[in-house]
Amino acid sequence: MAVNKQNHKSSSRLKVLLGKWHIRLAMIAVATALAVYPFVVVSSSSTSNEVIPPGGSHNGENVEQPIEFPHNIHVKDNGINCMYCHTYARRSKVAGIPPTSKCMGCHKVIATDKPRIQKLTEYWEKKSPPPWKKVHDVPDFVHFTHEKHLKRFVFDRDFPVENVKEVCAFCHGDVENMTVAHKVKPLNMGWCKTCHMNNGGPGDCWKCHK
Amino acid sequence: MSGKIDRRNFLKIMGLGGAGTALGGCDLPSTVTLEEGKEEVVSYLMPEEYVIPGVGVWYASTCTQCAAGCGIHGRVREGRVLKLEGNPGSSMNSGNICMMGQAGVQGHYNPDRIKTPMMREGGNLVAVSWEKAMNTIQEKLSAASGDQVAWFTGTLSGHQAALVNNHLEAIGAKKHYVHEPINTSVWQAVNKDMLGEAMPRLRIDKAQMILSFGADFLGTWVSPVHFAGEYAKFRKQKRRGLLVTIEPKMSLTGANSDLWIPAKPGSEGVIALGIANLLVKNHSKDMSALPADIQGLINKYDATTAANLAGVDPKRLQRIAELLVERSPSLVLAGAPVEGQAKGYASVAAVMLLNHLLGNVGQTIESQGNFPFAQLKTRTGGSSDLFAFVQAAKNKQLAAVFFYGSNPKFTAPAAIEMDSALSDVPFKVAISQFMDETTAVADVVLPAASYLEDWGTHVAAYQPEQPLIGVQQPLMEKLYADTKGFGDIMLDLLKVAKKDVYSAFADYYAYLKNAHAAMPANLKEAGMSDNDAWNAALQNGLIKVATGSKSMMVNPVSFADPAPAAADSKYGLHFVPSPRLGLWDGRHANLPWLQEAPDQITKVVWDSWAEIHPSTAQKLGIKHGSIINVESEHGTVKVQAIVIKSIHPDVIAIPMGQGHEEYGRYAKGRGANPLKLLNPIKEETTGELAIYATRVNASPTGKKEVVVRLGASDTQAGRRLVVTVPIEQYQRTEGV
Repeated sequence: MAVNKQNHKSSSRLKVLLGKWHIRLAMIAVATALAVYPFVVVSSSSTSNEVIPPGGSHNGENVEQPIEFPHNIHVKDNGINCMYCHTYARRSKVAGIPPTSKCMGCHKVIATDKPRIQKLTEYWEKKSPPPWKKVHDVPDFVHFTHEKHLKRFVFDRDFPVENVKEVCAFCHGDVENMTVAHKVKPLNMGWCKTCHMNNGGPGDCWKCHK
Repeated sequence: MSGKIDRRNFLKIMGLGGAGTALGGCDLPSTVTLEEGKEEVVSYLMPEEYVIPGVGVWYASTCTQCAAGCGIHGRVREGRVLKLEGNPGSSMNSGNICMMGQAGVQGHYNPDRIKTPMMREGGNLVAVSWEKAMNTIQEKLSAASGDQVAWFTGTLSGHQAALVNNHLEAIGAKKHYVHEPINTSVWQAVNKDMLGEAMPRLRIDKAQMILSFGADFLGTWVSPVHFAGEYAKFRKQKRRGLLVTIEPKMSLTGANSDLWIPAKPGSEGVIALGIANLLVKNHSKDMSALPADIQGLINKYDATTAANLAGVDPKRLQRIAELLVERSPSLVLAGAPVEGQAKGYASVAAVMLLNHLLGNVGQTIESQGNFPFAQLKTRTGGSSDLFAFVQAAKNKQLAAVFFYGSNPKFTAPAAIEMDSALSDVPFKVAISQFMDETTAVADVVLPAASYLEDWGTHVAAYQPEQPLIGVQQPLMEKLYADTKGFGDIMLDLLKVAKKDVYSAFADYYAYLKNAHAAMPANLKEAGMSDNDAWNAALQNGLIKVATGSKSMMVNPVSFADPAPAAADSKYGLHFVPSPRLGLWDGRHANLPWLQEAPDQITKVVWDSWAEIHPSTAQKLGIKHGSIINVESEHGTVKVQAIVIKSIHPDVIAIPMGQGHEEYGRYAKGRGANPLKLLNPIKEETTGELAIYATRVNASPTGKKEVVVRLGASDTQAGRRLVVTVPIEQYQRTEGV
């Protein structure tokens, strides 16, 4: 308020020049700048180990997939790391659906008697990857990158990579207990923004809308 | 997203989006396009090692948006080409491309592409299978005798040109009409006679001064991207290079010059002789080696006579002569306004004679050397073949014609009667990506793959450094399965015409790879296998060719008196159908980016216009934005007038490119086609169409509309955006 008062004193001269309405606008601008300032400083400096995972929930649709892929068997029962299959997550904006050759790397010999694997083998033999349906989608005007999020939440804070599923779960939920993936977080702008504010993510519009 | 978005739905969506944003983090159903299970996300079956989804990979290829043959790099992500840039390894463009190159992706993804073969049945084009289309073509070809078959194309080079040539040979035909409305045919003819080669190498970077007679080398002349790079070097020399332009209507090059002199089209030859006269009389340049009749012409046109004929101040010519002597070596160029006259050859020869008098040949004009593969050389075209084609068609000498990369129905003047000539050809095959005017009257339409889906090699007519063969490779799979690359179509034709040779090749890719393997070993890196060398060529996007060095010969040939044509009592204004970087000759009118890009001088978007000088406009009662009729002996077009100072008062200019009757949703029915107005005047020596020789009248219709253009004001409104100094101060400090 002290600053505002000072402004008020000098405003009599300004008043002559600009008129009352403009003064008020200028004061609001100064006040806004002061209010925002501490937040800007905090947000740009916090890359600490403290992470506040995003909250919120979303009751996603049941998406029918060409093959009912059991995430639970792969992750929970067999302890396969998320990034073993979604190998592009740390290197690209998309996590990537594993290439069919990767599935077949194991399933040429494992569980070949299961109907789901037989279906997969059919796709492989006719040389056409299964047409998976996209569950987690953001609009085309949103630039989301897995790479930067993994850097921030895994590599920059020396989070053990073997537990990466805990970080994936921020946005994708408890995948290790799902069969086919199910959307459980809203993934809309307010939700993204809340997490960015809590964890020092960038606040510029063009970071995501470019 | 499916379904139409009208205003009501748009507002609904905006409202919901706003609510979603405001209450973000709460458990609300998501809105807008946060879809689940709608889009498919398909993985690779077996990815290449270097492919990362979401990360682009750049592949080299060659641009075909004009005939300059620039090397390009295309960014490919998830099997889609997204962005084109210049190939830094190509001497043609050194990593840069122009806006037409950038817009290449819009041609490729254009919604108006032809997707299936078509045949005329009962007056209409209907979709047919490739088999039926090709069988029909073969039937017609076998029914016609060889000399009744012809090809009509735009500029062709590389193996595509070789295949067309071989097809003509195999069926016993000879006629290959090559047509480009924007060309340098007359200039090339003069060079061939005077210097021994049609396309000498121009060392803009070495010149101390350039005198350009309407050669828009920064915009539309020969190899503009390369020249723009050289021009930057020219300006950055220790003593900044000086550019003087003499032309009827300001071009991009004119706008960059230090001195821009508007002149009536057709008077350039006389101006050049006036300057030559000054060089001989005042600056003791030697003309004794010249033929007597040229000496006579130089004596005839002293500076005052020449300047008066051209409507230019004689002092200007004296100053130019002084500068040319003072700044050596210089470079004198002649462009379309000089060429496009009945006395075009003589005018260009008079201009190029200045280079000889000034001793520029061998300094700023060098030999390209001999290109070793005659079969792959460029077939550059002009417009003389328009006349030849119409004549042959009218004499019923043509039974079947193949059209590719050229649209004569659009680019031919109405007076040439191309329409009736086309209907005199009983069987027309068009190989085209789009339903342009010529394709729309064809009997069989073969859908061509886009240049980003096709194989090819390109040898540009103008080679700035060591000559190179540009390699064109597909940057992605074909968008439409039923389209076919030009080389593959040629092979299909040749597999019938010359089965023994061509049946060995599965497709054009195999043909090119084989042709590359057969090239001499000195084009490949030592010790490389054929396969490695081929991969290297693909990776570089080009093959460098060794040439023997060759020195320029100088042979100042005789030429006629280039006196400008007499005034026309009925049609008072010179007509300039100006070429435009962007829409070019009209081939890019279907690319919205280029329609939207403002014209470099008038800044108008999306439309046609007529440029007219303020004094002439006032005389005729025309205002900025008036709708006017421009009338020649052969037709009238209605366009909006742009009153602008950058044009000679006796000239009216309408840019080429618009006025399509076909050619897809973005081009059709937009603006007017100035080429239709032209009188069918031939250049006397070469038989080219004299496109700057037509005279017209302009009259207001009484209507006036808002001019849609970028930055509609010509003044700075006192904001000092561009700071200027008085000429006296400039002359004192810069010494010019």
